[in-house]
Amino acid sequence: MRPVQLILIVMLIMVIFLYFNRLRSGILDRVLVVAFAVAGMVMAALPDVTMKMAAAVGVGRGADLFMYLALVGFGFFGLVLFSKIRSLEGTITDLARSVAVNNARTPGDTGVPSRESTD
Amino acid sequence: MQLPSNPSIFVIVPAYNEGPVLRRGLDRLLGHSYEVVVVDDGSTDSTWALLADAPVHRLRHPVNLGQGAAIQTGMTYALQNGADVIVHFDADEQHQVGDIEVLTAPVLSGEADVALGSRFLRKEDADAIPFIRRLVLRAAVVVNGLLTGVWLSDAHNGFRVLSRRAAEAIDLRENRMAHASEILVQIRRAGVRYVECPTTIIYSEYSQEKGQSGWNAIRIVIDVLLRRIFR
Repeated sequence: MRPVQLILIVMLIMVIFLYFNRLRSGILDRVLVVAFAVAGMVMAALPDVTMKMAAAVGVGRGADLFMYLALVGFGFFGLVLFSKIRSLEGTITDLARSVAVNNARTPGDTGVPSRESTD
Repeated sequence: MQLPSNPSIFVIVPAYNEGPVLRRGLDRLLGHSYEVVVVDDGSTDSTWALLADAPVHRLRHPVNLGQGAAIQTGMTYALQNGADVIVHFDADEQHQVGDIEVLTAPVLSGEADVALGSRFLRKEDADAIPFIRRLVLRAAVVVNGLLTGVWLSDAHNGFRVLSRRAAEAIDLRENRMAHASEILVQIRRAGVRYVECPTTIIYSEYSQEKGQSGWNAIRIVIDVLLRRIFR
């Protein structure tokens, strides 16, 4: 086994470890992450398998096949992240709007802005 | 639409880091029978403090969200407070207070639910626009028409009057400048009647500096396109 294979496998194990430790997510997400990580480890450990898969779909090298898949994957994650950010932005907007409307000051209510009493 | 004999007209003025200029703009609005609603979009300068003694409705976003969000906040507030007619107005001295009457007229008479200001209906108004700006606007008109299906003579003018019915049908989700295109899409979907009215825009040094750069137009188009995809 070459050193790079070991490094990649250790990094993937760390990814799984970090994911389970830091992120509380649904069972489906966990299964997906483990599946991807295991697939990555197999690819790192057995480059011949990747090479055969690449040849089967008409790509020259295993590394190229992996790169194409990674590009598509990155694009997909970008989109997911983007739509999450947008919906987050919408939530913040709704919050900020209700804060603004609830604390509105009317024309008669002049003077130094002070904290509204709640009682 | 049946309007009361003494309709309440709410003028919404979004403000972000306008400082003392805003106060001058507001002074022009006072003395008319308008309810003025200033929405401070999370300014980091003295804007909010300078408003403290202004006889207007004052709302403040705790964080900066963008002009579209500020306008929607103003509309939400105005509708809650019984507005019959809502005016979108810029206080940076670009829009003329006198033009409010021009734009509210078709809405008050029931001829239309939405009146949109246009700089291109009168030759003298169009001539007053700096040349490069005119080119950008002409291009924006075409892009806007293609994107929204609403063909106007002007784009991103920002001077609008809406009936209560129209304002209730509109919910701006586009926080930044793309709201100007979004509002057209929503007007079309709601099937409300709209007209264009001539407005004069004064291009002061301040408004030019503060206003949209041509490059921003690209960002607006991207926002509008993304909205179409992620709906």
